[in-house]
Amino acid sequence: MSEEFRPRYPGYDVLDRWNSPDWDDPTREVVRRRLEGIPAPRFFTPAELATLEAAVERILPQPDRGPEARVPIVPWIDAKLAEDFRDGFRYEGMPAQRELWRSALVGLDQTAQALYGRQFTAIEDEDRDEVLRQLEQGHPPGEIWASLGSGRFFRDTLCATVVRIYYAHPTAWSETGYSGPSSPRGHIRKWIGGVDPWEPHERPTRWKTE
Amino acid sequence: MRRPRQLAEAEWSLRAPDIHGDAVPMRDRSGEVVDFCIVGSGAGGGTLGAKLAEAGFSVVILEAGPHWDPTRDFVSDEAGSSRLYWTEERISAGDDPIELGANNSGRGVGGSTVHYSMVAMRAHPDDFRRRTLEGNVPGAELRDWPLSYRDLEPYYEEVEEDLQVAGPTRYPWGPRRRRYPQREHDLNACAKQLVYGCERLGIPVAPAPIATLSAPHGDRPPCVYRGFCNYGCTTNAKSSVLVTYIPRAIRAGAEVRANATAIQVEHDAEGRVTAVVYLRAGQHGVQRQRARNVVVAGYAVETPRLLLHSASSLFPHGLANSSGWVGRCFMVHSGDQVFAHFKDRINQSKAPPPGGAITEHFNRSMPGSGFICGYTIEVVGPHPADFARRLTLSRRLWGAALRKEMLEYNYWSGLGIVGEVLPQRHNRIELADESDGNGVPIARVVFSYHENEKRLIQHAIGEMTRILQAAGGEASWAAGRTAHLLGGCRMGAEPGDSVVDADGRAHDVRNLWVCDGSLFPTSLAVNPSLTIQAIASRMAARIRTLAERREIQV
Repeated sequence: MSEEFRPRYPGYDVLDRWNSPDWDDPTREVVRRRLEGIPAPRFFTPAELATLEAAVERILPQPDRGPEARVPIVPWIDAKLAEDFRDGFRYEGMPAQRELWRSALVGLDQTAQALYGRQFTAIEDEDRDEVLRQLEQGHPPGEIWASLGSGRFFRDTLCATVVRIYYAHPTAWSETGYSGPSSPRGHIRKWIGGVDPWEPHERPTRWKTE
Repeated sequence: MRRPRQLAEAEWSLRAPDIHGDAVPMRDRSGEVVDFCIVGSGAGGGTLGAKLAEAGFSVVILEAGPHWDPTRDFVSDEAGSSRLYWTEERISAGDDPIELGANNSGRGVGGSTVHYSMVAMRAHPDDFRRRTLEGNVPGAELRDWPLSYRDLEPYYEEVEEDLQVAGPTRYPWGPRRRRYPQREHDLNACAKQLVYGCERLGIPVAPAPIATLSAPHGDRPPCVYRGFCNYGCTTNAKSSVLVTYIPRAIRAGAEVRANATAIQVEHDAEGRVTAVVYLRAGQHGVQRQRARNVVVAGYAVETPRLLLHSASSLFPHGLANSSGWVGRCFMVHSGDQVFAHFKDRINQSKAPPPGGAITEHFNRSMPGSGFICGYTIEVVGPHPADFARRLTLSRRLWGAALRKEMLEYNYWSGLGIVGEVLPQRHNRIELADESDGNGVPIARVVFSYHENEKRLIQHAIGEMTRILQAAGGEASWAAGRTAHLLGGCRMGAEPGDSVVDADGRAHDVRNLWVCDGSLFPTSLAVNPSLTIQAIASRMAARIRTLAERREIQV
């Protein structure tokens, strides 16, 4: 399975440029907190955390990485809810975020029970995907979903939150070949096909990168 | 008004961040009855505040968010920039409920100009005469503006000079105009694809006018093309209100009071406003800034919300709302985007991708198209988290499919529109049943597209796809999106049909003014900031004239 995520930019690690003119102090501080300050859970119960972890692993699978190398996602969802940091809006009919996440995790178990007779954490990966697909399509079995928009939760809350956290991590930046922070140096080669010497290259170049 | 300037040093007892990491002295006006108390420090409030202070009026600007120091507070990081947005809860409702709280909001000194895309476009003469030109469109409340292009033209020029807009030698659309103050920026890869696609199809295209320096100006350097324009500019090349008008306002004696959230505008028994009530971090209890005039400049959600929440026995439906139009005809722009995959490396987030190149070829009513009004096509360049969000929301990608698609991040190039949205009465800002932490009811934002817009969006997606394909792009897909918040306190000549007059002055309350995007009677199909700033500049000039004639109290 890890073959499918074979890096397009082998050997590229955006963090190698930590001391380059592309990383200023405020940016280093923000990213340092992201790498080192992974918050301990404060909001969810251990059981909720296990359900959430299982769902997040299907939204953004990382089978190619050991525990040390994985991008942490669930701790940041927990922190967002513990601090109740909002997004600026919610769709009418949806509850405020804390209630939404709690209810939705109950809903995941209800749907898994209805389809497979077991809790979400106790079913196989393919079955978890099926549960999530039913949420996405909007009419999953489960009492909670009668009054909670499962499609809205799945897309606008679950998927949107997970990708926002994952693609904020330097590991994801390196994976996608994103050149990352750029202050104060900026960019020079911005034309089509243009790659600055300090940006990731897909093949060896004659430039020595900083 | 022009009281003798005997400013003791002690009166400049406050310190405000300057733009290079130091601090500058600022006047403390908290104990005064000022000429103007302005709520909001963005494109409307910041611009107006500077011009009024320079004209000799005493000014306090209240801003809910912090006073940013560009050298410490802005980072090269998407997630680290969420503090630039208005993230307090709002309810989004209607048939096409909009996303709020990110690109279309701002919090902190400079407002959303701190993270806007800097596209500095003028509206066109026809944009101000929609009702005359299109007649009565069922379901829409089209009105002509009480201002014409000629009224705003000198102020467009003034703001372009103030911001040192960088643009092409000859801009192909709109009335004849002076050259832009600074030369155009080089195009990035995404902008080049727009140019190649348009040229192959015979569609006129040009470098966009951008409010970012291409050459040094004063104490600010030219752009180094970091590509993080939408997350705050660390080098001060971007001509946000934070680094242009705010320093001018402070130098001229205005106080810019950050972290001060206005919750109500008070009035006396005669119905004249007297003070703004606000809460301030670090200060206990409710604060009051007394003023002879109040300007509300909180953008198209917060401005109607504050007026509605200032209801009293004298104004039972909200301040300045005898017409019933406060909060009504709220508009956005359709901001739909199309992305295509290219064989060559694009690096979509590099350089100032917002803007870059532009075509206003479709910014007009096109007979036979099935819809009225039009749209501008611009270049977009989301960073990875934002791009992944589009993949999951629009293409419904998740799981391994999403991670694999993101490996192609550097090979996608995108276009987006600013599409005109018609004013509809049921699109509105109102107070919800739920309150925020300050006990103020939160805003309920109701939005549904008009049939006209649905057709406009389909047309635009078709054209953007055609352009990207002509440039060599493949596998294109569209992402639905809106941008900008407009209307809700529209200007008009008729008191029964609008909230404020052409000067932004409330029909009902003559010492209350509105100065932001909520004034727009129709939405235009251009990025709104330059028009908001031109209106603010014109307002400042009109206020000077009215003060000289003693038609307003200062």
